[in-house]
Amino acid sequence: MQETNQSMQVEKFYYDNKIVKAFGYATVIFGIVGMIVGLWAAIQMYYPAISLNLAPTTFGRLRPLHTNAIIFAFVGNASFAGIYYSLQRLCKARMWSDKLSWIHFWGWQLIIVAAAITLPLGLNNGAEYAELIWPIDIAIALVWIIFGINMFGTIIKRREKHLYVAIWFYIATWVTVALLHIVRSIELPYSATGSYSWYAGVQDALVQWWYGHNAVAFFLTTPVLWLMYYFLPKAANRPVYSNRLSIIHFWSLIFIYIWAGPHHLLYTALPDWAQSLGVVFSIMLIMPSWGGMLNGLFTLRGAWDKVREDPVLKFMVVAITCYGMATFEGPLLSLKSVNAISHFSDWTIGHVHIGGLGWNGFMAFAILYYMIPKMWGTSLYSKKLATNHFWLGTIGIIIYAVPLYWAGFEQSLMWKQFTPEGQLRFDFMQTVTNIKYMYVARSVGGTLYLIGAFIMVYNLYKTIAKGTFIPNEAAEAAPIVKAVSQKKEYWHRVIERKPLTMLVLSLILVAIGGLVQMIPTFLVKSNVPTIASVKPYTPLELQGRDIYVREGCYTCHSQMIRPFRDEVARYGEYSKAGEFVYDHPFQWGSKRTGPD
Amino acid sequence: MRNYLKYISGLIAILLVCIAQPAYAGGPPAPSVFSNPLAVTFINLMLLLLIVIGILANIVIGAADVKLKKRIEEKARKSVIVLLLLMLFNPASVLAQATTDTVTKTSKLIGGMDASTFYVMVTVLFLELLVIIVLLLNIKLLLKKEKEKTITEKKLAVTTEEKVNKLSWWDKMNKLRPVSQEAELDLGHEYDGIRELNNKLPPWWLYGFYATILFAVIYLWRFEVSHKGPSSKEEYEMSVAKAEIKIQEYLKKKGDLVDENTVTLLTGADDIAAGKALFMDPSKCPACHNADGGGNAVGPNLTDDYWVYGGNVKDIFKTIKYGTSKGMRSWKDDLSAKQIAQLTSYIKTLKGSKPVNPKEQQGELYKEEAVPKTPADSATTASAGNK
Repeated sequence: MQETNQSMQVEKFYYDNKIVKAFGYATVIFGIVGMIVGLWAAIQMYYPAISLNLAPTTFGRLRPLHTNAIIFAFVGNASFAGIYYSLQRLCKARMWSDKLSWIHFWGWQLIIVAAAITLPLGLNNGAEYAELIWPIDIAIALVWIIFGINMFGTIIKRREKHLYVAIWFYIATWVTVALLHIVRSIELPYSATGSYSWYAGVQDALVQWWYGHNAVAFFLTTPVLWLMYYFLPKAANRPVYSNRLSIIHFWSLIFIYIWAGPHHLLYTALPDWAQSLGVVFSIMLIMPSWGGMLNGLFTLRGAWDKVREDPVLKFMVVAITCYGMATFEGPLLSLKSVNAISHFSDWTIGHVHIGGLGWNGFMAFAILYYMIPKMWGTSLYSKKLATNHFWLGTIGIIIYAVPLYWAGFEQSLMWKQFTPEGQLRFDFMQTVTNIKYMYVARSVGGTLYLIGAFIMVYNLYKTIAKGTFIPNEAAEAAPIVKAVSQKKEYWHRVIERKPLTMLVLSLILVAIGGLVQMIPTFLVKSNVPTIASVKPYTPLELQGRDIYVREGCYTCHSQMIRPFRDEVARYGEYSKAGEFVYDHPFQWGSKRTGPD
Repeated sequence: MRNYLKYISGLIAILLVCIAQPAYAGGPPAPSVFSNPLAVTFINLMLLLLIVIGILANIVIGAADVKLKKRIEEKARKSVIVLLLLMLFNPASVLAQATTDTVTKTSKLIGGMDASTFYVMVTVLFLELLVIIVLLLNIKLLLKKEKEKTITEKKLAVTTEEKVNKLSWWDKMNKLRPVSQEAELDLGHEYDGIRELNNKLPPWWLYGFYATILFAVIYLWRFEVSHKGPSSKEEYEMSVAKAEIKIQEYLKKKGDLVDENTVTLLTGADDIAAGKALFMDPSKCPACHNADGGGNAVGPNLTDDYWVYGGNVKDIFKTIKYGTSKGMRSWKDDLSAKQIAQLTSYIKTLKGSKPVNPKEQQGELYKEEAVPKTPADSATTASAGNK
């Protein structure tokens, strides 16, 4: 390639930095907003008065706002900033259409603003991480497709023959998120803002956690992996450790991830066979996930001295380590016996924040620290401040997560205690007041993390002030030559030249898991045995259900009694699949801050 | 069956997930520390920390340069000794506990383990953390020294290049090639300045992946094909049956085995006082029957002669224990049989008292049976219950 390139006519072109800047600013702004909302909600756990006694700022409405802001606004915008920066450079081409880039940017920000208005107003679908109302769902689909067209346009007009591993992740992510979002959002609108899920009960639960789990996989993991694959080798100036590992871990990751959703529904009314599939695919997910971690950490071989100096690499190392921890812990939590303890408790909250604060947050900070000095043609204002941010963040994560692990474990064990006479030993309330101080500690950790983020804002502001923005960065490269019959290429190397083949292969692979789980659950009657006494809801009951959903009651209460001795003693006979056939959407919940 | 067990236990050891299913794998599950989730988690944590210590100790040894070698070896030896001690200590404490477990049933329980096991485990965890901190401090110190050294003695580095090319166990475990041989692994790809190597897959990663796949096959076979593993429903039924046996044994030992067929009126002052305290608890009876038993909009008057579900001791006991279809809830999961008997007896004393705002008569007139058939019997049960 190199020789042919030199003999070709070299073309001059410009990278679009303005769009990266816009997404970068959005990342910072919405990141801070999302974290403040999270802290606000966390303080309400032990100091409820801080909800101001206003409906829009109660926990049930803030929690969806926090999760949506962090997932779609903070991590989403960071991933987009990263993709617009790296895609152009990896393809040696400007974005296919600047206009589409800006439609994508403004469309996405409008969606976020709409979410920030509708969620506090109580306009809520009742499906975790898919709470947004149907008009916004349609807008998301449209903006996502526009982003895809622009991305594929750029890939197709590239000047680099082969696609780098980061681009594989762009492609797989794009197609999978489209699939997840569309299938999850099929709903029946009954007004301009209200709708009911198309699916009911157990089926809705299966679709929900197929979506919810893979939102984590394909919105919070694969995009962050693409950030790692581009920015880590760049920042460390080291070659990627192993192409072979990239190939194996990429394909196995996207194939296996999609199956693991039912591990959010262990011991529920979901049929046992689906639960078992969730367990085994979660266990098989350990090594594909760790493949990413190894490829990141081993790339730093011979560059560990730089880690000591460079804040960007420091953030990345901790991010990747947190990724490794979270992806090992996740499969463990998927074992039924562990899940029996962790589910519905704060353990899960601790677990996701190792991923959220560590893997996603730190990687987002790292790329901001990397890109902004580069795009302003200067160096970082203060390495010392960035290092302080790093330590505040790291300590914040520990102080956040450890108390929650403790709280989750302790509360869950208390729930299960019986007196020798066979009575429940603790009232539900006793188990809550017992862990109050853990909640206080957790919000201290969150505060430290937030202070770190503010330090970053100041540092970036100062960096920007001392540099000059380069809106269009000049670059040059030769166009691709038509393939001359060379010696036989490695089979995967051939796929790496064919973005559409890659798209189709990814779609097929991610479709399999969902189909195998959903088709039998929807079509085979024995999976949801009917119960004669279960009748459709009366209008009054439906009205009450709407209020339950609107106020986000499902964020703290469950409607799912698991087949455990303590739960049956506390709440009554355990839940059966047939009880939920009229539940659009299902409201089993995933956390018991209050009782069932 | 035996083979599956072998495979499963092997796999589980690899994955450090000893908490998984084998408790049900075969035979009657013997109660041991290993069936306590907290204990198992602690043990896993200990092992995990041990691995961390091992890695750190290795780094400390590796980071030691020629000059410091002697001193560090000493230190490393120390930490190895600590490690060995810990390793011996861990299983020993667990096993020791397993034997004493059966003996000291009366001792205080923390998280389902008795206090000494709990504290021993916590201490071990704490010690392990301490060792980690010491090792980390060592690493920091060494790195500092190394940095100074590289500045002052750059020339020496040339002679030590040979040493750099020597592979450590860490490199071997991961099939890492020395950085100096990197050029041979370069694939010649270049994307925006990013090059790609083609290192072999770390063997533990690859075989770990195979092991998880094997785990998946066996798991699905056990739970979904052969059904040797229990379903969620069966697991529930097993746990309830197990608990029921334990409760019965406990009650038999305590002589507190009354039910609606054997219950008799208690007359001891202690019992009546205990019954009264239960009755007055705002979270129990007063909500529906008023604190004076006169009844309110929800529940009937308990002081008159009219009873909806029967007014003798056995009937009242049964009503409290199981609840009724009209709204009285069941209290059997909140109160012990003895407590229900005390409560019943207290309610019987309310007859004829003058509530402030009595509710109208409900149910049927109940006339006291002449005299309990064997008053002596009831007296003995009552006093036995007091013990």
